[in-house]
Amino acid sequence: MGDLDDDLRRLFSDDRLDVHSAPVSTEDVLRGAERRRRRRTAVAGTFALVTLVGAGIGLSRLGVPSPDSTVGALLTTSTSAPTTSTPPPPVSTVISTETVTLGQPPNSTGGNTGKPNPGGTSRPNSTPSSSPPTPESQAGRYGTLALGMSEADALATGSLVEPSSPADPDGRCKAYATKSVPDADAVIVSPAKGIVRITMPSYAKTPKNVGAGSSVSDVKAAYKNSTQSGSSVLAPMSATPPWTYVFETDGATVTAVFMRLNANDCASV
Amino acid sequence: MTAVLQLGSAVEHGGGRAEAVGDFAEFVRISMPGLLRYGHALTGNPHDSADLVQAVLEKVGSRWVAVQRKGDDPLAYVRRAMANTHISIWRRRRRENLVADIPDSGAVAPELSRLENEPLWQALRSLPPRQRAVVVLRYYENLSEAEIAHALGISCGTVKSQSSKAMASLRTRLGED
Repeated sequence: MGDLDDDLRRLFSDDRLDVHSAPVSTEDVLRGAERRRRRRTAVAGTFALVTLVGAGIGLSRLGVPSPDSTVGALLTTSTSAPTTSTPPPPVSTVISTETVTLGQPPNSTGGNTGKPNPGGTSRPNSTPSSSPPTPESQAGRYGTLALGMSEADALATGSLVEPSSPADPDGRCKAYATKSVPDADAVIVSPAKGIVRITMPSYAKTPKNVGAGSSVSDVKAAYKNSTQSGSSVLAPMSATPPWTYVFETDGATVTAVFMRLNANDCASV
Repeated sequence: MTAVLQLGSAVEHGGGRAEAVGDFAEFVRISMPGLLRYGHALTGNPHDSADLVQAVLEKVGSRWVAVQRKGDDPLAYVRRAMANTHISIWRRRRRENLVADIPDSGAVAPELSRLENEPLWQALRSLPPRQRAVVVLRYYENLSEAEIAHALGISCGTVKSQSSKAMASLRTRLGED
């Protein structure tokens, strides 16, 4: 009994087991592994493409009022379908997949976008208020939402979180949280003027690349015509309808940014 | 814009992948001699060992990041995969060709032929692969019964019975010789 155990141990530690008549090259293994991985991700990529296109169709139906609202939805609602339904496939597939999906919306440049990219975002938006191509005249919209948009249209975008709360003492205007900004008064809607305030998410930057965390001097440098009003800095925009960026600050740094319709009639805005 | 952001993250993925590929290449280089040796013990001949090592490493390499994320020792993982793959390949071959023994590969190196002529080695070769795997894991890998059971995905009872069957038939074979 003990002999066999010992014999087996001896046999398995024998040098002759090291004799390999057919060496395996590392390069062959790497090539084979890559081949398998590609084959697998080709399948996964197809699945992701189908899911994304499906999600895209779903979203464009959701955002019927404005054709480019699908892009806005992609940008503002960070928890929306496209983000979650994209598994992390490898480079090549991702690139082709994204291109296909994003090519669909007719106008893929939102007036305001979630992250700094001055080059890409300072282009004016072809919203109904077609305006001259200066940044100061950009349209008053963020993602799917636009200043002046009616409450019904705003609700149809799916970006607002219901229920609303009263935004002024007499309960005329309504306040909503949005999917990207959890504050109860992120968006304020007037029954007469539509959306009068849109709060930008804390990670978002204006097309001039300022946002929460920027210094007051940066804001003033970016918006030459801006004025100080208490602790806030106001940067008026000459779009139609005219509106203003309101940078709330603690004196030195921007703490929050919202877009305010100049012709607003809600007491609290 | 979204495209820019997501492409950015895709590029990051790409960077991580290049790193993973380099890491895996290093793992292959370092562990290759040991794996071929282990495969030799497992399959009973160096050609099948090379095939087995290549097939299993390709599979493992194609999901290297996931394998690493599991936190297991990757080498232990590869060895378990080799044992299981070897058993299933053998099952398939046996179905395809019920009568023929797996033939000895023709020309063998002189050092190898000494091993080939060793009665215990020959007796081992006659074992069905699962019994052989149990023996190899126990005497080559020095795994406990519980570890063998975990590695092969079978119960401890099966490990015991396979092991005692294997030892019995080895003894019988050696006694005959």
